[in-house]
Order: sequence, then structure tokens, then C-alpha cells
Amino acid sequence: MIKPLEIHPKLHGVDHTARPTWKLRDTVHFYRDILGLPLVHCISAKGWGREKENHADFLHFFFDSGNESTIAFFYYIGTQQPAELVVPKGYMAMANHTAWRVESEAELLDWQRRLESHGVKVSQFVQHEIIESIYFRDPNWYPLEITRSLRDVEEPDAVDATATIEAAMELEDSGRWKDIEQLWRNKVKFVQESQEKHSEKARG
Amino acid sequence: MSGFYVLDVPEFASLVDAAMKSGRCKVHPKIGHYRFVEFDREIELLRRDTHMNEAVWFGCLTGGLDGKITRFDGERLKLVATNEPILGLDAARR
Repeated sequence: MIKPLEIHPKLHGVDHTARPTWKLRDTVHFYRDILGLPLVHCISAKGWGREKENHADFLHFFFDSGNESTIAFFYYIGTQQPAELVVPKGYMAMANHTAWRVESEAELLDWQRRLESHGVKVSQFVQHEIIESIYFRDPNWYPLEITRSLRDVEEPDAVDATATIEAAMELEDSGRWKDIEQLWRNKVKFVQESQEKHSEKARG
Repeated sequence: MSGFYVLDVPEFASLVDAAMKSGRCKVHPKIGHYRFVEFDREIELLRRDTHMNEAVWFGCLTGGLDGKITRFDGERLKLVATNEPILGLDAARR
């Protein structure tokens, strides 16, 4: 268990996320012109620090993605994209994505139409448990998502998430975890524990 | 006692309804944030009865399972009672 900390610093949402690009013009066109996100800041600098790595001169530029957040890119001048930074095909690499929030189904539909009108391939609406999303790719093949909340996340969600993750970590520690059925079975004792806690609380 | 737990949130409510309609189970009253759907020996649920899309359907046992899955695809879910260890028979022999 983690020791209780005396200081509880808070986070206040996303400032920016950043990724490298080797397609400057295509990236600017996609984010500024197709998505319509304002270009709000750009650092252009001589490579500094990391002398051993011979840090390239670079641009670091930011597009406004709403609610005081930005999505940013690095462009390393005169470099080639290393093979390990090419986005791999397949579902696993899609886990590394940015998801932006909209506030209604109508807004989500507007985004789908706008992207399609610019020739961007966009998924159908996908409803997950608590969100509904569309998915697409940028010119760097980075996966992007626009999503709307279907309901607020409440206490039962957090209790359930804790039970799932505790059960999962226990299976991971076993070194013999191979499928989701094992997780669902192992979770029962954690669910029962949460029910007992709830009943004790109710009894006062 | 074989069965599965269902978190009391809107997106899983139809799973409880479909289980009740199957007539082969007993839905226990909610304790904490979960309902327990108890079945005797086996139960079969059809996705069309739950009106769930695949993204929710394939996570529908996320509340916890006391039983064994014998079939789980886009159409149906079949569960049976089990005494097998969670990590499998090989693991239990070690």
C-alpha cells in the first residue's frame, strides 16, 4: 500500500499533449484547416541540451483544442523519422490516442460530417459504456477520437473499477493470467468485499 | 451458488431484464452497487434480448462471474456452474 501523503497536489485538466511529426505541411493543414484548430503558439529553437544525442534544431507548435488545452507537435529539422516512431499497424498501437470531448450528439455528428467532407475516413458512432465516439487518423497516422459523455461517472463506477483492477493485478502477479474469464471469476471476491463494506456502512 | 454480478448502472440494466426473461435464474436484491443473477447449473443469454451493442455486450460479465463460460460470441452467452480453479487445472496441481 502507498503511504498516505501529507501533500495532495491537484491536477486541473490537460494543458497539452505532444508528438513528433515529419510532415509539417500536412500536419498544419490537417489540424488548422481541416479540424479548424487555431495555431496559437510556436517555439523555433536551436537544438540545446542532450548534447550526447546531438539534439536537432526544432519547431514546437501548438493548436488550440478547447477548454484551455492544446495539441502540440515537434518538428526536428533535417532529421529522418526513426523506424521505431512510425505508428505500427494494428489495434495495439491505437491505444496511444488523443480523445477530444464534445457536448452533444449533434456536435459529434457535425464533426463526422466535417471530416468526411474533407475526405477524412471516419468511423461510425461507437457507443461504449459511458461514452459515444468517432475515430479517425491524422496525416501522421496518429489515432484520434472525438467523444461525448453518455452519463456522469459516479460512485458505483469507481467502486467497480477498483474491484476490477485489484482482481487484475492479483492475476498479473500470478504470472498465469491468460483470459478475461479468469478476471471475471477472480473479481467476485472483491465485489463481495465491496458489498460487505457497503452493508457495514449502512448498519453504521 | 453460481451466477454473475451486474453493476447497477444504466448500460447493464438490460442484462438483468434479459436474464429474468430467460426464466432460468433468480435475481437477488441489490447489495452495495451490484445485483447477483443466480442460475442453477446453466444459463443461456441472447444478445438480441439485451439490446446491447457489441462494445457493451462483450463486457457484460465485468461485474464478476461465479461460473464458467462455454460459449461467448456476438449472438449468445452460455454459462455453466463450475468448481474448476480460476487459474486452471494445471495451475492447481502445482
